[in-house]
Formats: sequence, C-alpha cells, structure tokens
Amino acid sequence: MNGAAPPRLLVWLGAGFVVWSSALVALYAVHAIGCAFAWRADLLRLGLGAVILIHIAALAMMWHRLATRPVGVTDGGTRDFLVTLSLWATIAATAATVLILGPTLLLTTCL
Amino acid sequence: MNAPIEQPPQGSPALRLHRQLAAIWATGPGWQRLAAVNHSIIGLRFMATAFAFFAIGGVLGMLTRVQLATPKAAFMDAETYNQVFTMHGSILLFLFAIPMIEGIAVYLTPKILGARDFAFPRLTAYGYWCYLFGGTILTGALIAGVAPNSGWFMYTPLSSNVYTPGINADVWLLGVTFVEISALTLAVEIVVSILKMRAPGMSLDRMPIFGWYMLVTALMMVVAFPPLILASILLEIERAFGLPFFDPTRGGDSLLWQHLFWLFGHPDVYIIFLPMAGLLSTMIPVLANRTLIGYRAIVVAIIALAFVSFGIWVHHMFTVGIPHLALAFFSAGSAIVAVPTAVQIFAWLATLAHGRPRWNVPMLYVFGFFFTFVFGGLTGVMLAIVPFDWQAHDTYFVVAHFHYVVGGAAAFPLLAALYYWLPLLTGRTAVYRLSVPAFWLVFIGFNLTFFLMHLTGLLGMPRRVYTYSGHEGWTWLNLLSSVGGFIMTIGFGLVVIDLLAQLRYGRRVRRDPWRAATLEWAMPIPPAPYAFASIPEVETRADRIAPGELARSLARGEGYLGFARNGWQETLGIHMTSGTPEQVIVLPRPTYLPFGTALATAAAVLAMLFQFYLLALAMALVTAGLFVWSGQNAGLARDYGPLPVGRGLSLPPHTEVAGAPPWWALIFTLVADATLFTSLLFGTLYLWISAPKWPPAAAPEPDLLLTFAALAALAVAAVAARGSLRAGAAGGAPQGWIGLAAVVLLAAIAAIVALIGGVVPYPREHALGATAAALLGYVALHAGIGLLFLLSNLLRLASGRISPRRTLDLRLSRLWLDYTAVTGLVAFGLVLALPALVAMLGARP
Repeated sequence: MNGAAPPRLLVWLGAGFVVWSSALVALYAVHAIGCAFAWRADLLRLGLGAVILIHIAALAMMWHRLATRPVGVTDGGTRDFLVTLSLWATIAATAATVLILGPTLLLTTCL
Repeated sequence: MNAPIEQPPQGSPALRLHRQLAAIWATGPGWQRLAAVNHSIIGLRFMATAFAFFAIGGVLGMLTRVQLATPKAAFMDAETYNQVFTMHGSILLFLFAIPMIEGIAVYLTPKILGARDFAFPRLTAYGYWCYLFGGTILTGALIAGVAPNSGWFMYTPLSSNVYTPGINADVWLLGVTFVEISALTLAVEIVVSILKMRAPGMSLDRMPIFGWYMLVTALMMVVAFPPLILASILLEIERAFGLPFFDPTRGGDSLLWQHLFWLFGHPDVYIIFLPMAGLLSTMIPVLANRTLIGYRAIVVAIIALAFVSFGIWVHHMFTVGIPHLALAFFSAGSAIVAVPTAVQIFAWLATLAHGRPRWNVPMLYVFGFFFTFVFGGLTGVMLAIVPFDWQAHDTYFVVAHFHYVVGGAAAFPLLAALYYWLPLLTGRTAVYRLSVPAFWLVFIGFNLTFFLMHLTGLLGMPRRVYTYSGHEGWTWLNLLSSVGGFIMTIGFGLVVIDLLAQLRYGRRVRRDPWRAATLEWAMPIPPAPYAFASIPEVETRADRIAPGELARSLARGEGYLGFARNGWQETLGIHMTSGTPEQVIVLPRPTYLPFGTALATAAAVLAMLFQFYLLALAMALVTAGLFVWSGQNAGLARDYGPLPVGRGLSLPPHTEVAGAPPWWALIFTLVADATLFTSLLFGTLYLWISAPKWPPAAAPEPDLLLTFAALAALAVAAVAARGSLRAGAAGGAPQGWIGLAAVVLLAAIAAIVALIGGVVPYPREHALGATAAALLGYVALHAGIGLLFLLSNLLRLASGRISPRRTLDLRLSRLWLDYTAVTGLVAFGLVLALPALVAMLGARP
C-alpha cells in the first residue's frame, strides 16, 4: 500500500484552473465596470492587463512550486501521482489563461 | 469502553456467508419495496424510470417531426406545439439524461470501487422518489394541457407572468427545481462515496478511470446546479409575489436569467458527456484487449474540461449585445474546450489502434459515438466563432449541433454500456440477432434526422417555429428529417424488443463474460444486495485485476468484513488519497422514511404550484421535521471502540472518527450552498451594473442597529456551538450552550425579518429592494436551518447518540453555524454597501 498523501494535495489538482476561473471572472467584471463607468480606454486596458498578469504570476509560482518538489517527499505512488497531475493541470491552466484571455488586450475595449 | 460484540463466524463457507449477508441486506417483498434503500435497487429504478421518460420525450420529439414534415400542417396548433417541444427538451435533459447518469453512478460506482453501497442509502432513495414525483408533476401537466410552453431554457420575459400567465411556467420552475435538488443530493453522495468508500488499497492512482470521471462529474454537479436552482427560485418568487428580479421595467434584467441558466446549462452538456466518457474509458480497453492508453493525461483533461466548461457559458449569449472584447475571450474558450475533449478521443483511438478490438454490438455503438460526437464537436467549434454564431444562432443548425453532441455523448455510449453491462444486471449474456439491425436503424435514422437540420438551419429556418409556408426551400429537408426520425424510432423500438428478448432468452452466465478487469465483475451476477461478500484489498491498479479468481476468494469471505455482525450493514471507509482503511461504516437498513419525506416534499411543491402558500409552508416544515426525525436513528447508540474487520485489522466505527462521511457531505453541501450564495451576490452586482432603471427613485437606508444586532446574534450562535462541542467532548452537558445558540438564532431571525420589512425601495417596486430582501432572506433561512441542527442535537443527546467519542453532530452544527455567520457577514456587508453603490451610479457620466 502507498504512503498516505495528505488529502490537501487533492486541492492542488484544481488549483491552477481555480486561478484561471478567477482571472476570467475578474477580467469580465473589470471590463464591465470600466465600460459602465466610461473609464479611459488606456486605463481600462491597463487594468485588464494587470488582472491577467497577476493571475499568470500566481500560476507561475504554483508551477514552480510543483515542479521543484523538496528532496525526499517522493513516494513513487499516490503523492507523486497527485503532484504530477497537479503540475500538468497547472501548466494547462497557464496555457488556457494566456491563450484565452491574453489576446483580448489587443481589442477595442468597449465596442 | 469496548463493549462485547457478536463475534464473526470463523471459516464461513461461501453459501453460509451469502445467506447471512442476504438476510441483513435484502429488501422485503410487496409494499416493503417502497422502503428499499439498496444502491442496486435504487440504481435500477433510476435507470428504468429514466428510460420511461426517454420514451415519453422521444414520442414528443416525433410529434414535432410529424408537425414539421410538411408545410402548413394542421396536426398541432401553436400552443400545443409550444408545450410539446418545451417538454421534449425538458424531459430529455432533466428527466432522462441527468437521472440516467445518476442511475448508472448509483448502480455501478460502488461495485467498480469495491464498496458494498453508497454512503447515504436513505438519501439515495429520497433522491429517487423526488425525481419520480417531480417528473410525474411535469408529465401530469402535459396530460392536463398546462405543460411549460416557454422552451426548455425558459427565457424571461417570455416566461414571466406578463407573457405566460397560468401555471405552465410554474410547473417547470417547481418541477425542475424539485428534480435538481434531488440531483444535487446525489452529487454530494457520489463525491463522498468515491473519496471515502473505495476498497482498501485503492489509492487515487489505482482508482479505475471511471471513478475519476464520476468524481469530477459529481463535483461539477455540486457547483453547476445551484445557479439554476437560484434562478428558478427567483423567477418563481417574481411570478408568485411580484419581486422584479428579471423585470426590466422595475430595475430587473432578463439577461440575468440567461446568465444564471447558462452557468448551469453549458456545464450540463459536460455533466452528461463525462460519465458517458467514463463508461467508454472502461469498455474500450476491455473490447480492445489492452489497458487504457493515457490514463494520467485523461485525468488532467477531464479536470481541464470541467473548469473550462463553466467559463464559456456566454457563448449561448453571443447575440444579446455583450461587448466585443468579452465575446472574444468567451469565443476563444469555447474553441479551446475542444482540446481536452480531443485528448480523450485520441486516447481511446490509440487504445483501439494498439489493441485487438472485438467487433461486437457494444463496439458498434462505440463507433456510432465516435462518428456523431466528433461531428457535433466540430460544429460546436464552428458555433464558437462569433461571426458564424451570429448567422446560425437560433436556427436549426444549432438544433442539429446539440442533438449531435448530446445524442453522440449520451445515446450511443449509453446503448454500448447497456449491451456491455447487461450480463451484470441480468445474469444473462446477449443474443445479437436483432441488435445489429437495430443499431444500423438508429445510426442511419439519427444521421438522416439531424444532419439535414444543419442544412435547414443554414437555409434560415428558425428553431421553435410550429409551421412554415413551403416557399422557403425547407420542405424536402424537413420531410426527410421526419422520415429519419421515424427510422430512428423504429431502431429504438427494435433495441427495446432486443433487450426484452435477451432478458428471456439470453444464456445464463455466472460472472465476467467479457474477461474484464474491473471489480464489478468480481461478484456473482446478477449481484447480491450486499454486492461483495467480503471487501477486496486492492494491490494494483483497479482496472487491471482478474475478477474471476478474486470473486471466488471474496465469496468465501477472504477479504475484509467477510462475516455478518449484529445485523449491521457494514462497509469500509478509507483515507481519501491512500486508500488506507480507517473506519467501519454502518449503513441504515430499509425504511419508509425516504418515501414519506419525498411525499411531503412533493406536497409542498404541489401546494406552491396551486398557490396554497400556508399549506406549502406547513409541508416544508413537515419535510424538515422528517429529516430531523430520520437523524434520530442514524449512527450507533453507544461507543464500541475498534472492531475487527478481518485480515487481522480492527477499525473504529464511523461514529467515532473525525472524517466520517456525514462530515464530508456537509462540507460539499456547503460548497453547493456557497455557489448559490455567490450566484445571488453576482445577481445583485449584475443588476447594479447592467440593469435599466437604476438608480431607483428611493435610496436604500438599511437599519444599522438591527443589522449589527443580527450579525452579533449569528456570531454568538457560532461561539455557542463551539462551547457545546467543547462541553460534549469533555463529557459535560452541552445543552446549555445549545439553548443559548437557539435563543440567539431566534433573535437573529427576528431582526432579519424586521430588516426585510423595512427594505427600501419596497421589494415589489424595484429589483434593488428585491435583491436586498433575497440576501437577507438567505441568511434568515440558514439561521432557521441552524435551529433544526440544534433541535436534532438535543434529541440525539437525550437518546444517548452523542458522547465524548461521538461528537459528529455537534461538529456538524458548529460548521453550519460558522457558515451562516460568514455568509451573514457578507450579505449584511453588501446590504450596507448598497447606498454607496447606488450613489456611485448617480455619479456615473
């Protein structure tokens, strides 16, 4: 039987995409508020860019943490399985954040 | 204080063990069937009922095809057609697809994961009866001619009182909400059962891929259903009491309904697809004679799919006037969601390509799935592109697309699974004389019906028209679609005949006719009510086992719990990730309570429907009372300490451990609850930023004193719950703390009711007042439920069900009251912030 991987590792499986979800909701909200209150286009774009960058930075930190496990915590079983899957899910979430949300910065803000 | 217990019989032969366990787990004959709580029985009932609704929904679909087969048809008038197509969609989505998934999950999941039953058998039964009664209300309305008629997504303002007077829309709102709440309870149960009740040794990396699919799907259901439940409640309140959440003339917004509906509606497609993909991922390796390729990639893909499917709800709303920048990222997300889907498709193709596939009837339906689902997926990518969607929106192209997706995702894998698992259900192997022609009729009929709808859509035929003039160029396409529909129906008819023939003439088989590699075949078939005579120890990945020899060993009682004890229905609870056994879970025996509670719930729904609000309130209280009563016999009446479970291991009962299933069930219930609350917050802020007629004429002026008094009372209740837990754990008397918590909760409710009474603007006059009242009402409702928790604590203390070792009840109350205090803080905070938010709108350029 494998050693006990703590249940909190399960949270890491979805953590990357939780950050992606947060980026999507924040982007949609900032955009809606900016357009509703007629913010200047350059300021609104800056705000949207900041939202995306903050989330990409969070994802990068998670990616780094998952990819650089401390020596001695691998068990070749459940823990490794969960960490590996969490890493790949975080990479997928990072790609989704860049590909889905990034290009919007180039568009007209409130058309 | 280890009390003496009945010792397990040593060296029981398989037959003796079977008789002992069957006597404990079996459901009685006759009327006692209404008391059934066993997962095999409830799972089969779910599936059979879902098939009945599939037949009804299918007939309604055929009626629409008869109407549209020729121009200017007089077969149905517009009103009848509206009811028929609305019920066709509503039945197939809400009464067939989701309940069928639940039925499969209930029947198969414990068996594939090596458990004897689900975590909460009475809740499973309650979920089934709610589904049956809710579906019956909807179907009864159709027969009475008052069925819903606003389309299966019930857009406002069409479904509002102004444009849909009468009870048609109320039937949908109440009936579907009834069914959805039952789905939500089952989702929580599936999550807890998968995480806590797998076979010992089945760590997450050894879990069969089906377990991952069901886990992710159930978690999606936990988060997806609350927005729809909230939307239905708000619209019903608007229709019944005039609070204008969706009425743009009074500060509401029809688009809020669309947002809340599609926050459920889009993930719902994947909630249907993922379990079917789980079935495919289980069947394809067996049919291909090799293990599944890409297990880890598939797990990552389904996690990605689950999240991204929520983030693209707006692609159903591309034409409502959302700013282009937002359209762009929802469009990109809608296209990218194809990637994790494709990962699974390629994993299955690779498994087939590297294996030695058996070309039999299940495989034929797998082929049907690949063809239709990939086709539907590709048209989905087309519709993800905004300019194309603007052209095709609300045309028959969309109808064709979602029938390919849902038909491909649900019907073909489901039929493959039915033929594959039929021996497990019936103990008979298939005779394929009718199966093959039945498949081809379904396949050809399906494609003839729905492929041509792409063309009618591109030629401009709008969906939901009940007739057409005949000059548009759609006539032949519609006629051929209708012919295809009849061919498909004949095919389904043959499938039914084929299945009945197999029940009668199929060759009897004892176990594992497919040379499969998962645990559901490691038992005699059809399965006994206890599923496993003893519970296996899993030492390899649980989709690579040899069920044949294992089945004989388990039948001899050589696994865990290979004995009968105290007349208990026992199974094992494990550590969530490692699969290490942690607890003995003692499950409840058959009882009429779920049936009675569901009847009371149905009475409340019907009373609401016919506007007998006091009666509805009374029946809701009866329902709550039955839930409290049902808790009185839950768990064990005294401390036992570690109990022997076989293989030299002793474990405490679930009542004496920290991580018992009810604890996790409440956590996931609160996740669903928090999603509903977040949806309410979103609705309030959405109306603030987007709805017309804001700011209202009367500025909000919340009563600070009452607000802080209510908040303080909720905080004191949470502190008192902690006090009761400390006292209970120390062997003291927690009744005083519980009494204090109850008194302050009553004070909080009184203060909140006073606050609702003083909301400005008046809730019927403007959506601002309506949303403030809804936020306050949410907190009051939770305080009221908190009172039920406390009442249950007192009753169970009196009956000796709570002891220093058994403090689960007190911990559940503490968790509930903590949640109530936190959401109260947020809700009151928003209500207090409303004047400032309204002032900001006034300063807007």
